[in-house]
Amino acid sequence: MTADARPAAPPSEAFRLRASNYSLLTLRLLSARPEEVLPALGDQFRRAPGFLRFAPIAIGLDDLDGQEVDFAALVSGLRKLEILPIGVVGGPQTLRAAAAGAGLPTLRSAGQKETEIEAPAPVAAPPAAPEEAPRPAAARTLLVEQNVRAGQRIYAQGADLIVMGTVNAGAEVLADGHIHIYGTLRGRAVAGANEDPEARIFVQNFDPELVAIAGFYAVREGLQNASIGRTVAVRLEGEQLRFEPLG
Amino acid sequence: MAQVIVVTSGKGGVGKTTSSAAIATGLAQRGKKTVVIDFDVGLRNLDLIMGVERRVVFDIVNVIQGEAKLQQALVKDKRVDGLAILPASQTRDKDALTREGVATIIEELSKDFDYILCDSPAGIEKGALLALYFADQAIVVTNPEVSSVRDSDRILGVLQSKSKRAEEKKEPVKQHLLLTRYDPARVERGEMLKLDDVLEILAIPLLGVIPESESVLKASNSGNPVIMDSDSTAGQAYSDAVGRFLGDDRPHRFLEAPKKPGLFGRLFGGGRAA
Repeated sequence: MTADARPAAPPSEAFRLRASNYSLLTLRLLSARPEEVLPALGDQFRRAPGFLRFAPIAIGLDDLDGQEVDFAALVSGLRKLEILPIGVVGGPQTLRAAAAGAGLPTLRSAGQKETEIEAPAPVAAPPAAPEEAPRPAAARTLLVEQNVRAGQRIYAQGADLIVMGTVNAGAEVLADGHIHIYGTLRGRAVAGANEDPEARIFVQNFDPELVAIAGFYAVREGLQNASIGRTVAVRLEGEQLRFEPLG
Repeated sequence: MAQVIVVTSGKGGVGKTTSSAAIATGLAQRGKKTVVIDFDVGLRNLDLIMGVERRVVFDIVNVIQGEAKLQQALVKDKRVDGLAILPASQTRDKDALTREGVATIIEELSKDFDYILCDSPAGIEKGALLALYFADQAIVVTNPEVSSVRDSDRILGVLQSKSKRAEEKKEPVKQHLLLTRYDPARVERGEMLKLDDVLEILAIPLLGVIPESESVLKASNSGNPVIMDSDSTAGQAYSDAVGRFLGDDRPHRFLEAPKKPGLFGRLFGGGRAA
């Protein structure tokens, strides 16, 4: 299922390396003190439960004026909030080195001048990847076993999403990849959230408020009655969403 | 150790306070020492429904702010042994509640009571969050109506993520559905959601179905929890629910509309039985 979206290894090779671009949220630190940052984040997420749950995130260091950061405390605090930091961007070399010591490699943003980061270590990004390898692999598909209830929002960033339960009205599930829902979809499902037109949505029992792929959406009113209550695959054809009954 | 039960719904006006009063009274009737706390600071109602409003001296805010001892603020019920009420304040707002203050109160009450019922205010704001934070079990009160079901779904999500049990990653809060104001005749006519539809959406175990009944309003106005009116269908349904809560096996009743009137009834306009 993920073969077209990600480099899957053919039987004859054990792996293949490929450059990929992912869109990431950046948490720009305005304070160097985890004890200030974490409670503020916690407050924000208490107001929006499920928001950013298990989302990978980059930590931006540009606004810190080089103040030292206790990266170990920051990382463990973020993980407690179910946010997964995977690297740092910007900031002075000393700060980036400290981050690397805490298992946060330096990420290069697509628009960034290469020399700025690549000078100290020309292949900085790839070698850092194995160190963090278990994490992206685990995040490649986000598995949600319970029902997603009204007001909850789950985002599988850079990943596929599988929901084993039902997505109730008023709930929202998003994925940069495909979405599979084995219960009923009564809420919203947004696949290919990172504008991937190849992403699809598979639903056991199709009864949605809204479905969208790569920004093209259909609200309930615009859906063909035929597909409601059936097992449906949704894909994007040109600028049209197609609904195909399955099974 | 006492069990802490939150009675909650998200939506207002679905019968949280009526249910809190009835269930607390029912538990006490069954010999369980029970205290019911009104978390609806600023809109205090529970004492009215329980008929103790003329004996309220202190309230939960006084206790939290150290102006009164807990024992002074508890109002003992005169009809049922082992039942007490901790009233809300009428003059303050919900910001007067603090998590530490509530924690202290619940800890102290745990020593003397078997069950601590927390009657939640509507909404998902501070008062409601505090009411559910310490819960071991939740009774989610829902009407057979789409907006109420949606709000109950929302509150179930909040229980999953913001209760103390969730934050400490302990066994999740045990959830029960109490469907109130159920009118089988209107369900048959398609004007109300069916029990099965509600169960399918919320997907939690059913504690009871309370039929719509005139006796509820009468009971509220007279300050007698409706469970004490054993002639009324609502009172009987609450008794069943309390029984089930304590582990009795009781079939669900009042799910069907009373039989259609016979030929005479139809001819002479015999309406639905109440």
